[in-house]
Amino acid sequence: MNANWSLSNLTERINMSSVFVEQLMWVAVGLIGVVTFISLLALVLVYAERKICAHIQCRLGPMRVGWHGILQTLADGIKLFLKEDIIPDEADRLLYFLAPFFCLVATLLSLLVIPLSPQVQIIDVNIGVIYLGAVSGFGILGVIMAGWGSNNKWSALGAMRAGAQMVSYEISTTLSLLVIVLFVGSLQLSEIVLSQQEGWWIWRAHGVGVLAFILLLISSVAELNRTPFDLAEGESELTAGFHTEYSGVRFSFFFLAEFINMFILAAMMSTFFLGGWMPFHIGQLTAFNAAMDLIPPAIWFIGKTSVMIFVFMWIRWTFPRLRVDQLMKLEWQVLMPLGFVNLFLAAIVVLTNFYFFA
Amino acid sequence: MSESKYTIGNIDISTVKSKRPIRKGTLYNLVTGFMSLMKGMKITAYYFFHTKEVVTEQYPENRETLKISERFRAELKLKKDDRGFLNCTGCNICAQNCPNGSIEVIAMKGETNKKEIDRYIWHMDSCTFCNICVQVCPYDAIEMKPNFESSALDRRLYIYQLNKYAGPTKKNLDKLEDPADMQRLVNLIKREPYKGPIPLGMQQGEEHNFNHPEPVKKIVVKKETAKDVVKKDV
Ligand code: SF4
Ligand code: SF4
Repeated sequence: MNANWSLSNLTERINMSSVFVEQLMWVAVGLIGVVTFISLLALVLVYAERKICAHIQCRLGPMRVGWHGILQTLADGIKLFLKEDIIPDEADRLLYFLAPFFCLVATLLSLLVIPLSPQVQIIDVNIGVIYLGAVSGFGILGVIMAGWGSNNKWSALGAMRAGAQMVSYEISTTLSLLVIVLFVGSLQLSEIVLSQQEGWWIWRAHGVGVLAFILLLISSVAELNRTPFDLAEGESELTAGFHTEYSGVRFSFFFLAEFINMFILAAMMSTFFLGGWMPFHIGQLTAFNAAMDLIPPAIWFIGKTSVMIFVFMWIRWTFPRLRVDQLMKLEWQVLMPLGFVNLFLAAIVVLTNFYFFA
Repeated sequence: MSESKYTIGNIDISTVKSKRPIRKGTLYNLVTGFMSLMKGMKITAYYFFHTKEVVTEQYPENRETLKISERFRAELKLKKDDRGFLNCTGCNICAQNCPNGSIEVIAMKGETNKKEIDRYIWHMDSCTFCNICVQVCPYDAIEMKPNFESSALDRRLYIYQLNKYAGPTKKNLDKLEDPADMQRLVNLIKREPYKGPIPLGMQQGEEHNFNHPEPVKKIVVKKETAKDVVKKDV
């Protein structure tokens, strides 16, 4: 489990074939687990999204299939799989076929390193933060391929916007993650969780942590292409952006990737700022802390992630959409400078040991 | 915001100036913008947690307790008073103003020697429920009602004749002195519901014309006034 993967000993591992095969088996089992996990997760998330948006808009949402429409997403999934898979005549077929897989694989790869609980983490890479940044860039590639391959002006425009947006907002995401990396002194996600034994970084790193949290919240909404930053899909102007031409199973892959991405970003926020699977502890209150320890870590993780997912949905169904230039202005003129200043302040805080429970 | 130099007597007629957009520093705008976003979040959170605010109706199940707005426009009706008299004079203004030509008003000269409505035909299949007919009617004779359960499998069933009773308008009837005369007059010219032609050849062999089976002029009684008719019969 604790696959100590790093470039230096990778070559050694290949020579030790039995160990290597073992690792390979582990990854395969992990992948199967992850695929099952994401299918279930997508069902739950789509249902939650529809219900939450309905209630925010004074509606009821799905009510017919099953109790309170609980089987609606399952029915929709079956429908999507049975639907005709239409390929535009002029499409660049290779890119068109590969794009949904790129998007899905990118999310799968990010899911591998998220520590769901102390026991469940498929690979614990020692460069976790860099890995996450790199792999999420892979998803952008899928989006751009989809837009270009569809040979449709709306798709191409949507893909360009998505690309520009995701690349820009990746900067502030990374800048706010780096704040925590400075505090922890490690890029390994399990280390980051363990370092929050005494307190979660959002208040342990007081002002700097809160600002970094808000920055990450904004930039992850932008990376998810959700309102108020859904220019890439802007239904009113681009019909659906990069996945206009997709239908059936391929469309469902994009859909899946979008929702899993939401889970991953929520999980990242809870891992970095809200203590991951760490129970909630207050200083020296031993009895209280012991009571909190009784709740299993997986529940803590799921609870925190659900709260973050709710916040994402809440934001999506409340805020109006930004214009393209406003979007870019927000990133390059507000968030990025703030991120740098914040990182600088964080460095000072770390050097002077001026944070709580040091 | 108002400046009180524009007055008529005591009344201040100066218009309220709309707030000019605030052009302050970036930081100020950032803070106020953030606050207003939070306000929006508060409102949506309120709706999320208060299920009593939900407006959706679970229609076929709650058919008995269905709440539907009075202003919902689903059915055109001629207004009737408690005696069953109509306001409609057959002036045809509603038909002329209907953007879809969904109304046909067939008028005649009646017992009171005034124009009165013979048949009022509404083609619901081409109506968009725009309410224009109700708004243009100078006599306030028609209204839109919220009874929406009107589905049918045959397009011909969407042609309604709105008046079962045809006859003099309420205004003219009110001019009669004896209430008994009035009732007589109403009974005298009672006609059956619409059985007229069907549009656009929905059935083979049926021609599309709106000519009324009975020519309007036949019923016209000349020279005799309503009172005369009544007297003769008595
Ligand atoms: S409904 Fe009104 S507008 Fe139409 S014919 Fe009657 S009186 Fe005239
Ligand atoms: S509601 Fe509009 S479309 Fe319908 S009959 Fe009246 S004027 Fe015509």
